[in-house]
Amino acid sequence: MKQYVLQRFLQMIVILFGTSFIIFFLFAMLPGDYIDSNISLTPQRAQELKALYGLDQPVLQRYFTWLGNALHGDFGYSLKHQEKVLSLLNKYVWNSFFVAIFALVLTWSIALVSGVISAIKQYSWFDGFVTFFVFAAMSFPSFFISLLFIKWFGVDLQILPIGGMIDTGSDSTGLAHLLEVGKHMILPVTILTLLSIGSLTRYFRTGMLEVIRQDYIRTARAKGLKERVVIFKHALKNAILPAITLLAFELPGLFSGAIIMEQIFNWPGVGRIQLESVSFRDYPVLMAFTMFLSCLTIIGNFLADVTYAAVDPRIRLK
Amino acid sequence: MDTPNPIVNKQVKTVVKSPSIWKQTFRRLKKNKLAMISLFFLLFMFLLSFIGPYFSPYILDRTNVANMNQPPSAAHWLGTDNYGRDVLTRLMMAGQISLTIGIAAMVLSVMIGSLLGAISGFYRGVVDMVIMRVADILMSIPGLPLLLILAAILSEWKVPAEYRLYIIMIMLSFVGWPGLARLVRGQILSLKEQPFMQATEVLGLSDRRKILHHLIPNTVPLLLVVATLNVAGSILSESALSFLGLGVVPPTPSWGNMMDAANNFMDFRKRPWLWIPPGTAIFLTVVSINLLGDGLRDALDPKMRR
Amino acid sequence: MKKGLKGLFSVIILSMILSACALDSSSTKDSSASDKKGNTESSSAKSTEVKEYKATNLEALPNKTKARKDTFIAGISAPGGVFLPYFYENGWDGNATDPMFAPLVNLDPTGKPVGILAEKWDVSSDLLTYTFHLRKGLKFSDGSPLTADDVAFTLTLLHDPAYAGEQDISLTAIKGGKEYKEGKVKSIEGIKVVDKETIEITTEEVNAKSLLILGGQVLSKAYYGKDYQFGKLDYLKELYPKPLGAGPYKFVKYVPGQEIRYVANEHYYAGTPKMKNLIFKVIDTSTSLQLFETGELDYAGFSADDDTVEQLKSLGFANLEVGPVNDYGFIYVNNSRPQFKDKAVRQALVYGLDRQKIVDVKFKGYGTVANVPVSKVSWAYNDEGINKYEFNAKKAKELLDQAGWKVGSDGIREKDGKKFVIRYLTRTADDPIIPIAKENYQDIGIKFEPEIMDFNAIVAKLGTKDYDFAAVSTSQILDPSDPVEEFATGNANNAAGYSNPKVDELIKKGLNTLDIEKRKVIYHDLYKELNDDPPVILIHYRQSAKAISGQIEGLHPDNFTGISASLPNISIKK
Repeated sequence: MKQYVLQRFLQMIVILFGTSFIIFFLFAMLPGDYIDSNISLTPQRAQELKALYGLDQPVLQRYFTWLGNALHGDFGYSLKHQEKVLSLLNKYVWNSFFVAIFALVLTWSIALVSGVISAIKQYSWFDGFVTFFVFAAMSFPSFFISLLFIKWFGVDLQILPIGGMIDTGSDSTGLAHLLEVGKHMILPVTILTLLSIGSLTRYFRTGMLEVIRQDYIRTARAKGLKERVVIFKHALKNAILPAITLLAFELPGLFSGAIIMEQIFNWPGVGRIQLESVSFRDYPVLMAFTMFLSCLTIIGNFLADVTYAAVDPRIRLK
Repeated sequence: MDTPNPIVNKQVKTVVKSPSIWKQTFRRLKKNKLAMISLFFLLFMFLLSFIGPYFSPYILDRTNVANMNQPPSAAHWLGTDNYGRDVLTRLMMAGQISLTIGIAAMVLSVMIGSLLGAISGFYRGVVDMVIMRVADILMSIPGLPLLLILAAILSEWKVPAEYRLYIIMIMLSFVGWPGLARLVRGQILSLKEQPFMQATEVLGLSDRRKILHHLIPNTVPLLLVVATLNVAGSILSESALSFLGLGVVPPTPSWGNMMDAANNFMDFRKRPWLWIPPGTAIFLTVVSINLLGDGLRDALDPKMRR
Repeated sequence: MKKGLKGLFSVIILSMILSACALDSSSTKDSSASDKKGNTESSSAKSTEVKEYKATNLEALPNKTKARKDTFIAGISAPGGVFLPYFYENGWDGNATDPMFAPLVNLDPTGKPVGILAEKWDVSSDLLTYTFHLRKGLKFSDGSPLTADDVAFTLTLLHDPAYAGEQDISLTAIKGGKEYKEGKVKSIEGIKVVDKETIEITTEEVNAKSLLILGGQVLSKAYYGKDYQFGKLDYLKELYPKPLGAGPYKFVKYVPGQEIRYVANEHYYAGTPKMKNLIFKVIDTSTSLQLFETGELDYAGFSADDDTVEQLKSLGFANLEVGPVNDYGFIYVNNSRPQFKDKAVRQALVYGLDRQKIVDVKFKGYGTVANVPVSKVSWAYNDEGINKYEFNAKKAKELLDQAGWKVGSDGIREKDGKKFVIRYLTRTADDPIIPIAKENYQDIGIKFEPEIMDFNAIVAKLGTKDYDFAAVSTSQILDPSDPVEEFATGNANNAAGYSNPKVDELIKKGLNTLDIEKRKVIYHDLYKELNDDPPVILIHYRQSAKAISGQIEGLHPDNFTGISASLPNISIKK
């Protein structure tokens, strides 16, 4: 086991270097750079600015400059926000994280329960209802659902805030502050949950259906075990195995911010920063953020592999 | 004996040939009412999309601003949009694009993903490591910049707009396979250790047979779920892509971009005939594919006796 | 004032919160709502006027609003947190810094200069030397005195070689500025502090826009110049989040991504503002209507359309102003491409496009077709003698035939073996130009191919002139020279690749005098020439709807400063 972990770790380092290289060049291929987007500059001034920011150097050189700095922990200054990249991201990434993690917990709990019950009671009205709901949520874009909820809860009933993380002009601290943020989180978390619940429920349902038909379940039932024991002790464990892989994908998602949701609810998250950095070719932010997510992806995959092996004794790691 | 014994002949003639696996499957499928309804609905949607427009009295893209934003009426069964174009006609034309994209993109990514995942899970070792690490790298590269670059490259090469859509679909499949491959690989890892695989080993089956005829078919239920989710996703992603200049080029309609056109609050509230038809079309298509898929899975499973 | 230099992006956002409509006091204030009822024909005639709808029922104010007794909340889209004029990269930071930093000179609601920190100013007869006379007893919000030294410091700072911001001070050509930047001299010859309240600036080129640039927002030398060393400006980054200025409000707190809070500046030269607290709340335009409805905002701007206007009127507690916006929309035409070099072809392209239809679809009665490259609220606007290029496909076809473009067998025109194809770049998929131009141009035998790409990519293509047509709007037009300067031959921003010697001359003349009446005449001639030999295809003037909460008095958004000019005078109705 230790050997395996070590191996994966080494592979991870190699991949990270490789990824950073590929991404840097990919971004460099995007037409136009930060200075170009300001068309009111004279070419002289533009040249001056490019030199100031080091944008007129060849790509390879820029890459190594970036790499050198990054290895020292200096990820540079955001061109657009004029502040250190790390502090910029730190300001916003936790807001996205909290919404994402609540949504994750909710999604998985609800999906697990509905998926399993739908499978057990296949073709019942419950199954039908869940299926219908899942597909309806999938067919309409998040934009609609968000606006609808805002209208119902924010404007008509006025029981939930329309956007933002805190009440306007609020100075609350401590518990009051937590409650306030919590109240503002309700709609974003709900929307995110609704959006992800569909696919996950389907996975659980299918997994469960497959397992239920296996012979060993029949054996368990034949042995006279209570249905509840059959389901929870024997079937469930095996049914959720494939879903473990899915959990690994969630790790980068926790930090990447939900762009549309953050926009509509004016949630100060990292999604908008990411989008802006692409539109404005803000390289330092792009690179730092992408490398961060890249790390998370690789770690997530690694964790998934290890967990999978740990949970299913039939699988050998090597 | 010169003349053959008639009784023996008759017996020979009455040996029954068992029907092929497909005939059996289809017969079982027919019994599933929901699946059959779905099948017919899908056929109907295809016909509506590909043949329907010929029956429409309206020229697709002709704008008629005097007529804009009219609610459904006898002249326009589903009303008009903000350029005065007939919504029903556009819905039908949009079906061509959305159905094609949805299904083609799904087929491509499922094929690539499941094959690579299976190979990876089956052979383990170096092959597994290489494939999975490449998958890691692909998964880490952010989609948005990648697509923007693609758009820029296609623009530089002056690729005609009509072809770009198909190229994008292929690229999306290439980029989307890592997720699917991991799922399949996971399944394969467990399946590989099961007794029936030992049996195939004993029987001396070739690797190819083992993978294609035994392992992958057992992942079909999982693949079906992924496939149906993928179709809905592709249809909706296409409209997101058009914002980047990669999807369907306006004024060509697709269900996704018809819905996006109504994404401001006023249209949403006051002009539901703009977004309800495409939304419903997507919904019903996705549901049908899923029910059909469920039905297929049940029909393929010899253990089901309904 | 810096808003004009922000770049296209910050403007193409439709509902500019702080854009404004003209409040020309001589226009009739039409308070009867019944005339204006979404009737396309009458409203396009009226859509250049300002329409006002007063609040009818203050009882209907949302509870949140009623509870506020000393705070005004306006919306802002996406500030970046760099609260230092000249140094921010994000247009919204400009809106954020306006209440805190006062300039010497600003624009009044009609676009003419008016003194803020400067009581008056003189310009020498050769139009090269500007003498600003500051008011007596000016102070920054921390009580420290504001003198001519601070003005000198601000202008010198902008010449520093490490200055990487957007303000291009070299446009004012201050004497000795270049030498200072190159490190050859220790101070700028052309900047002379005469006494505490008087500063004299000598320039080397006559430029009608210099007054505003030289009279820009003043930075405190004591605060921002404390650690100043030639060529080293990094220390300023520490001060970005801690602004100090002489504006009506001073900074309290910034909650990133959420809101910026200000409090009235008791040292403001015109007296402490009556409204004690100011909050700029970060909002998303898709929910600004809901935010206004529930009382989260006291002021919000929207792109005007019947639905929105009706909705706002129905609230009962809002004062509404519907009026023109100070910009225009147009399509860039790449004059360097052979097919567009011919003036007749460009004229044909304008005749052959049903611009009225585009405007109708896009603005539903709240927009008009543009034929002059300046907004209707500018003092330079004059459409006398201007050809309106009304939609005329027949004429377009004639012009194209005459120019040698004959219709081929496939219905597309060709000349010298090349087909007439137009590649059109735009940012959004629901751009109404796409279906309408496609249809119109097909009728006259031209193939129109739209392409959607992101803003930066379009700008890059404009820069390398790798396009046929591209859709844009101008930024807010502060001086009539702003939008037309780029049409001068050889100008760095001449993305259209246009060249016309008569136009070049008129553009230069327009900046060569400070007399507004003289300039009006010059620009009129310029517009007539640009009308006959169009560099681009002008499309629209648009309107916006501004909603103000009924309990706020004294707020008069205008077309040149947004809410900045009237901000110090607002109060809550008792």
